[in-house]
This record gives sequence, structure tokens and C-alpha cells, in this order.
Amino acid sequence: MNFYQTWLPFIYLYGIGGVSFLLGTLLIFKTGALRVNDPVHKKWIWVLFYGYFFYAFIHAFFIYLAVESV
Amino acid sequence: MENILGTNLDRIVILAYFAIVMGFGAYFGKYSKTTSDYFFGGRRFAWWLITISIVATGIGSHSFVKYSTKAYQYGFSSTMTYMNDWFFMPLFLFGWLPIIYYLRLGSIPEYFERRFSREARYLATFMILMYMIGYIAIQFLTLATALYKIYGIPLMLTVILIAIATTIYMHFGGQTSVIFTDLIQGFILIFAGLLLFYLGLNFLADNTSYSSGLKALWNNLSPAEKLPLANFNSPPDFNFVGIFWQDGIAGSIGFLFLNQGLIMRFMAARSVHEGRKAAAFNVLVILPVSAIVVSNAGWIGKAIVNAMGSDSPIPADLAPNDVFVTVANLVTSPGVFGFVIAALCAALMSTSDTLVNASSSVIINDIYRPLTKNRGSDEEQLKLARLASVLVKVIAVCLVPFFNSFDSIYEAHGWFHSTFTPPLVVGVFLGIFWRRFTSAAVIATFVVGAFLMILGQIYPSLVSPFSHGIEFRPGRGYSYIGALYNLVVCAGVGVIVTLFTKPNPNKNLTGLTIFDVHKLKNIFKGSEVNESIGKPVVVNYKIKDLQKDMVSFSEDDMKILNAKKGDLVYIQDSRWWLGGLKSIHATYAEPHKDNGIVYISQKQCDSGMFIDGLSLKAEKEM
Repeated sequence: MNFYQTWLPFIYLYGIGGVSFLLGTLLIFKTGALRVNDPVHKKWIWVLFYGYFFYAFIHAFFIYLAVESV
Repeated sequence: MENILGTNLDRIVILAYFAIVMGFGAYFGKYSKTTSDYFFGGRRFAWWLITISIVATGIGSHSFVKYSTKAYQYGFSSTMTYMNDWFFMPLFLFGWLPIIYYLRLGSIPEYFERRFSREARYLATFMILMYMIGYIAIQFLTLATALYKIYGIPLMLTVILIAIATTIYMHFGGQTSVIFTDLIQGFILIFAGLLLFYLGLNFLADNTSYSSGLKALWNNLSPAEKLPLANFNSPPDFNFVGIFWQDGIAGSIGFLFLNQGLIMRFMAARSVHEGRKAAAFNVLVILPVSAIVVSNAGWIGKAIVNAMGSDSPIPADLAPNDVFVTVANLVTSPGVFGFVIAALCAALMSTSDTLVNASSSVIINDIYRPLTKNRGSDEEQLKLARLASVLVKVIAVCLVPFFNSFDSIYEAHGWFHSTFTPPLVVGVFLGIFWRRFTSAAVIATFVVGAFLMILGQIYPSLVSPFSHGIEFRPGRGYSYIGALYNLVVCAGVGVIVTLFTKPNPNKNLTGLTIFDVHKLKNIFKGSEVNESIGKPVVVNYKIKDLQKDMVSFSEDDMKILNAKKGDLVYIQDSRWWLGGLKSIHATYAEPHKDNGIVYISQKQCDSGMFIDGLSLKAEKEM
């Protein structure tokens, strides 16, 4: 298996997707839609970042397992 | 006619399932008394109820067929479209969701009128209706293709029968019926999908030398089939980068921001916070499970073929589109096969009922109401909404032959996303996040953008700079990556026209962009928001005529609730498992002295369907 099959899609997904995610998060911070001093919103900040890394971990883990099974 | 699959027992199970769901949906029709109930379910449901009904909406009958086909051809990468929806969640949860909820938007096109102009609304209405009705047609086609193999009834007749069956409970029920039938159908289709996976693994364990089905599955897939993401840019019919732009970007934004059916689900939530919980739980927990549910028949089928070679009960020349029904028939016993196909029916009914309800909402809210000077009563509009839902199904049935002409359901679905969503995605995105974006620009995005998109289909060389090295197929063009070209030309038109036209005054945009989200609660309430945290109280009710929408609690209860006169309150039947089915929203009136009692009007009691003698739970909203 080559780089085009294994890690390039992962880098592209979490690179372009990551930029969209970060820009969106910055925008909701800057506009006051998400307030750091609100205890309920504070929990949501954790949920948002957890979601991003949760999916990144699952994808990376399965790519690793597939590469190892060659 | 090809081989007919299944036994008479399977056919009876499928018919019984249709009958049960129709009865269930018709029963909940009694909860739809107004057009608000019919379309939005009265903004009263708990997050878990919304979550499960979203599952049933997100998994259409096409999902089982489409994803098991790709799972059979390419392995675990079939799941990638279910696992790439998180990137836009910040903007959805804290930008778009509060805007649609607190502005009480009846439809997505209504946003276009309030943000831009009436012309923009009509264009958006046309495109959204086209998108939804086409989507319904694909659902009908998929299920008819499967049932055709079981009952042997001609394809188009099967389509018509399915349309009639789904009309029956939709017609009477509206959104409340949709939510409750989708609740049971969501459970059924997840259970049936996981049951199929379990039985498939057992089949593999029994027919290979491995000690467990999971080991047999893993070891009978090639390394490439174990990868969770497809090859970067090949083959042309299934590559990562094309599907990323078509589904991960255009599809995800389209689903979260423009799917009227989904938006109506969130509008049925009792609060924005409940809507956020439903959306986050859905993407983080339900979607990964759903990916297994819809794909596993393909993985099992591929592992069986790889493990058993020439002895495989799955024919070598099996059409990939048939793998779901074939594997289900192979690994299940009579009756269970009927149940699995009933789950396919559940997926169809739950997705199409949502889309039909959403389409009739758009017809009433965006065509009938704006164009009619002497509107009928709410009751008459409710009748019209029901007629509109029938009309939508008739048009969808007529479109089925067109979609049947695509090479596969995956391609028909991909064509939809890449053709209809980019102008709307650009319009709504720039509208929310760029105050300068003008009415002329959004119309140009729709009209000129659509023209450039058509040019891209006629002259694929225009798309080639965006192709990322994907092979061009003569006569079939660049399929998925066309979405990137479409997004770029629509955004380009929108930005250029904006820069050369005069922006709308900021005062006309209040509450309509993300920059005003912090003001939305005040706009919704109509006065200063009370953000202090209180505790819920459980009370009994007495009937008393108060001012419109007012309820009265005791002074002590008001202290526990931390509420003041004029604040908003949510009152529900205290049995949590009803999920807010019996509930109302109201405003606090002057308090009284009777602790543990709330005074409500007879109308509020009827609307909440509260039962005499059963206690109510009240919470301050804002």
C-alpha cells in the first residue's frame, strides 16, 4: 500500500477539515456565540474538541491496523 | 423477472410491519391540532427523542443499499461519509441552530427572505423543493428495488404501493407522527442492522477455521479493504478527495444547514440546549454505529467470498447493488429475513415521511402564505398541508424512472448533493457569516452559479483544474469532485457581486447573522433574559383563566425556580419517558400563595393534554 492509500487521505481530511473546524470555532468565540465564562458553554468547548480528536483517533487507529496487517 | 427471494413468512412479516407503523402514526395524529404542531411538533420534545428520530431520518433505505454496495467493493472505507460530519459542528451548534430556533423560522427559504429579499426566498424554495422531492424519489426507488425481488410485483407498482402506505400515517399525523414513528423505526433499523452483523459474523465463524466471527471478518479482508478512508484520487467512482468535497463539505453543510427535515426536528426540540445535545450525540455516538449498521452486509459478503472462494454461496457475478438483500437472505432464517427487510422499509418510511412533511411545510410557508392575500383559517391550512404532502409524493413517484436511469443509487445520490447543494450552501453560509453579502449577490449565486455549474457539466475541462488527479471518464465527467468546482464558482460569483453592490443596512440584519447570536434570546423573549439558575418544581395544576399564554405559580415555587413575572416557563407531564409529548411553553404571571399549585387555562391544559390528578414538572426557560 502506498501513501495515497494510507496517510494522505487522513492528512487531507484533518488538514482541510481541521482548518474549517478551527475557523468555525474562532468565529463563534469572537462573536460571543460561545462564551467561555458561561459554565454550560464551557462544557461545550470540551465536547467540540473531543469530537474532532475522537474521529481523528479512530481513523488513525484503523489506518495503523491496516498498514500493520500487510 | 429475476429469482424471487424470501419465504411467505418473510412477506407476512413485512406486511405486518407496514400495518403496525401506519396504525402507530395515525394514532399520534391526534397530537397535531395546528399547523405549528403539524410541522414542528409544538417545540416541546426532549433531546433523546429528537436524537432517535434523527437516526431514522439520516438512515434512508438508500443507505443500506448504497453503503453495503461500496462496502462490498471497497471494504471499511464505505464508512467515511458517516464519519466526516464534525468539522462544521461549532458553526451549526452555536451559529445556525440558535438563529433558526430563536427567530422561529418556519423554513429555510424564510431565512433567505428575512436576510435578503423575497426573490431570494422564491429561488431558494424552488431549489430546496427540487432537492427534497428528488431525494424522496430515490428512497422510493431503492425500497421498490428490494421489495420487487421479494414480492415479484412490477417495480413502478411497488413504488406506488409504498407511496400510498407512507401517505396514510403521514397524512393524518404530521410532525408528531413522524417523530414517534421514527422513534420506533430508529430502534428497529439499528437493531436489525446490528442483528444482521451478528448473524453474518456467526455465519463466518461457522464456515471458516477462525474461532470468532470478528477474527474471520478481519482476516478475510485485504489490507486495502481494512482502510477507513478510500484511496486519495482513484478509482473515479470511489475516491477520497472527490467524496470529501461532495459529502464531507457540500453534503455535511447541506445536511446540517439546509435539510429542512432535519431543521424541523431541531425546531421540535424544547430548547436550543436540547437541540445541541441531540445533534452532538447523534454525530458522536449514533453515526459511527449507523456506519456499521448500513455497511456490514457488504463487509460480510466480501469476507464470505474471500474466505470460501469457488465454494462461496454468493455468486461471483453478483451485482454489487444486490449484496444487501443477498447477504441478508443468506445469513438469516425465514421470518428474520422479513424483519431485516422490514427495517429497510423502516428506513424508507422514516426518511421519506420527514422529507414529505418538510416539503409540505415549504409549500405552505413559502408558497401559499406569501402569495395568498386572503389566507384560510389554520384548520384550512392544515388541510392544504396534507394535500401538499400527497402532491409531493405524486411528483416523487413520477421522478422515479429518471433516477432509475443512473448507473447506481450512489451516483444518483452524489449527483444530487453536488448539483443542488452548492448554491444554497454558499448562499446560507455567506449570509450567516458575512454581513456585507448582498441580496443581489445571493440571487447571482443562484442564477449565475447554476449557469456556471451547467457549463461545468457540459465542458468538463472547466472542472479539470480542481480534479486532484482524478481520472476523467469520457461521457461521465468528473463525478464527485464536481462539487468543489460548483462551490468555487458559486462562492466566486457571490463574493464578486457583493463587492460591486451596495450592502443592506446593518439594522435590517439584526439577529440574522452570527454576529448577533448573543442578542437572539432577547429577541425571542421580547424582553431582558433572566439567566439566573433555578431548580425545577413538581406541581399540581388547577384551571383558571389568565391572560393569554400566562401561568401562575406560588411565590415560594417562583423562588425555587428563580423566576420573575414575564419569564418563560416550560411545563411538562412529570413522566420523563414521555419526552415532552405532553407539555406547553408559557409565561409567568403574578404569583399566588398556594404552594405546589400552578394555575393554567383550559386551553393550555388541552394543548398540553395534561391528565387530571397527574403532577407536572416546571422549569424556567429564560
